[in-house]
Amino acid sequence: MMREKATTLYLGPQHPGITGNMMVKLKVEGDTIVKAETHVGYLHRGFEKLMERRNWLQSFTIVCRICVPEPDPNELNYARAVEEIEGREVPERAEWIRTLVMELSRLASYLLWFGGQNGSAGLYTMPQWSVGDRDYILDLFEELTGGRVYHMYIWPGGVRRDLPEGFTGRVLQTMDYLEKQLIKYDQLMFENTIFQKRAKGIGWIDPAKAIEWGVVGPPLRAAGFKSDVRIDDPYLIYDKLDFVVPTQKGSDVWARSLVRREEFQQSINMVRQIIDKMPAGEVYNKIPNPMKWTIPAGDAYVKAESARGEFGYYVVSDGGNKPRRVHVKGPAYVHGVTLLEEVLKGANISDVSFIMNSLGTCPPEIER
Amino acid sequence: MTEDKHIKEQKIVDQLSGTFQNLTGKVKRERRVEVSVEKKLIPSVLSYVKDQLTFTHMSHMSCVDWLEDEHFELVYILWSPELKVQLLVKTLINRENPVIENVDMIWGQLNTYQREIREMYGIQFTGLVGREEFVLEDWDEMPPMRRDFDTAEYIKDVFFERPGRDGAKDVREVIATRSGEEIPELAKKYSRD
Amino acid sequence: MPNDKKSQKIVDIIQNAARKHSLFVLAYGTGCGAIEIPPTMTSRYDAERFGIRGMATPRQADVLLVTGYLATKTLKRVIRAYEQMQDPKYVIGFGSCTINGGMYWDSYNTIKLLDKYIPVDVYINGCMPRPEAVIEGFIELQGLIKDGKANGATKYKENIDWYRANQKKVIKNWNMPDYNW
Repeated sequence: MMREKATTLYLGPQHPGITGNMMVKLKVEGDTIVKAETHVGYLHRGFEKLMERRNWLQSFTIVCRICVPEPDPNELNYARAVEEIEGREVPERAEWIRTLVMELSRLASYLLWFGGQNGSAGLYTMPQWSVGDRDYILDLFEELTGGRVYHMYIWPGGVRRDLPEGFTGRVLQTMDYLEKQLIKYDQLMFENTIFQKRAKGIGWIDPAKAIEWGVVGPPLRAAGFKSDVRIDDPYLIYDKLDFVVPTQKGSDVWARSLVRREEFQQSINMVRQIIDKMPAGEVYNKIPNPMKWTIPAGDAYVKAESARGEFGYYVVSDGGNKPRRVHVKGPAYVHGVTLLEEVLKGANISDVSFIMNSLGTCPPEIER
Repeated sequence: MTEDKHIKEQKIVDQLSGTFQNLTGKVKRERRVEVSVEKKLIPSVLSYVKDQLTFTHMSHMSCVDWLEDEHFELVYILWSPELKVQLLVKTLINRENPVIENVDMIWGQLNTYQREIREMYGIQFTGLVGREEFVLEDWDEMPPMRRDFDTAEYIKDVFFERPGRDGAKDVREVIATRSGEEIPELAKKYSRD
Repeated sequence: MPNDKKSQKIVDIIQNAARKHSLFVLAYGTGCGAIEIPPTMTSRYDAERFGIRGMATPRQADVLLVTGYLATKTLKRVIRAYEQMQDPKYVIGFGSCTINGGMYWDSYNTIKLLDKYIPVDVYINGCMPRPEAVIEGFIELQGLIKDGKANGATKYKENIDWYRANQKKVIKNWNMPDYNW
């Protein structure tokens, strides 16, 4: 009987199944993966070096391009870090508008995830529906900020402009529409026996080691831990809103899908509460002349909860008008490199893309 | 701002200063504690806070280049899910010969962070196993995130510049110079060098 | 079939009409612009009514859509994918990073002018371009194909030495195959 040797496959940068521009080098025996290695660096732009050459206000315009599917946590973290080092107060209405933008961005990111997860399983109807519905949220963003994908709206001191006329009515209409669509998504995806059979038991993460490995976000909540930056390290006005953080016990792809679906429903409720309770007031605490604006020496570490996990920013200032160091850490830094190599051991080749989508590996934030 | 509000943060500072020598710490604000320690104590401090003080989650590891003071500053950022406190452990390394011990046997994901810092700053971690290249490919210049790497010179040598891009001059001045006309007043006001 | 100019012209018209109505785009998201491709291809701004759809491998694709900036590591793979594609092939430069370097004009790892490394037929400007702008770029490419002017591939074959010199300046470890078809 012939002994099978392990072959090397390059699930390379040009592939219709991977979530972005990265490479996973697989050693397979038959159909089972023996060893996986992640190669990144195809999207490296050197953001941190760019930010050392631009002053504090110019840096906020390039920060949103670090994470391509969900740019708003980046802007929020940069603004909060600069405000913390300087000690600048933000008006209350600006905090409520920032929370509204963050929740809408979370909904858009989940809709894109619906498309990606099902597209890698072969259910191509779902991307057609969910990416089309995501466009309604991008229309709202275009009306509010001027851009569909990259907003550049949240800056140190508040937000750039107030809500336009009739905006809140249109947001509520979109929320009603999305809630009705969620029933259809349930029928197509969550009650679908084929999706359940494909998703249960795949991509299992050991809950006893999850925190030590640095897992954050929906994979950690699917392992049974009630951990969310919005309740652990509260920021903006989340302590005034009423929401539930869902957890599951399975810790596989099916459990993570259920967690995300529940959070989708919670975000819709939160948007309705925000619009109901928003106070009136100013939206911007004006900074002095931007070309000569200096921040006193100090450092700060701030976190925000994005749709894929916890986003962290470490900002250091040396008293000048340019940042000394801005170090960005996205959730995919751990999920896409060490965790993926661990979870893919013993998996089937046809499940690689499925697992990558459920962990939320997004290469632009690994290598900035 | 009284100290009564930050009881659990102050307790962490006291426990750490009591256990290790030459460790200075302070409470920055609610849920943020910062300590500074010398580099040979880093592995024992990290093991102590992981096992005894419940800081089991490693959030981030970063490095800052202080060229004027001739040292690098390494920062390890940890989180405790039970106490809900973020701890920043800072240490200084000499810039001439930057060496520090590898700590990825404590947390496995530090392998990735340390490989990136080794590539971007040139700091050697004794005993670190992993591929040399993480993000850059075939890079044979100085490590790019150091303050003395001059990006403007580098891109002039290697890449092409768009014709018409002339530093930070206003576009009306560039067009007027190119077609031999007089430079308008508004352009002179906005041109920078 | 008689081999005179008039029938050659009729063959060209039929050939170009068939080519421009079925452009297959290679599924390669090289940069940030890849986030506006799913909306263009799905139900709201449906690009499939123009005959545009995604394809999995370079051997089967006609159009290489370079969506945004290119790091030097990706440029090596893009050149390899471009040289594996078969004639007739077209390149569309998407976003302002391909035109003049965009907002990464002072980055040490991205290339600034795409036209010096592979020949570009149509540029679409914006950061990001809207899906309607993307479809207009494709219609412009269809117009060029109809007039017989979209010949970036012949330009590449004729000036291969100049392109190779520019590419080798940026890519230091040159272990790529020769381009001989």
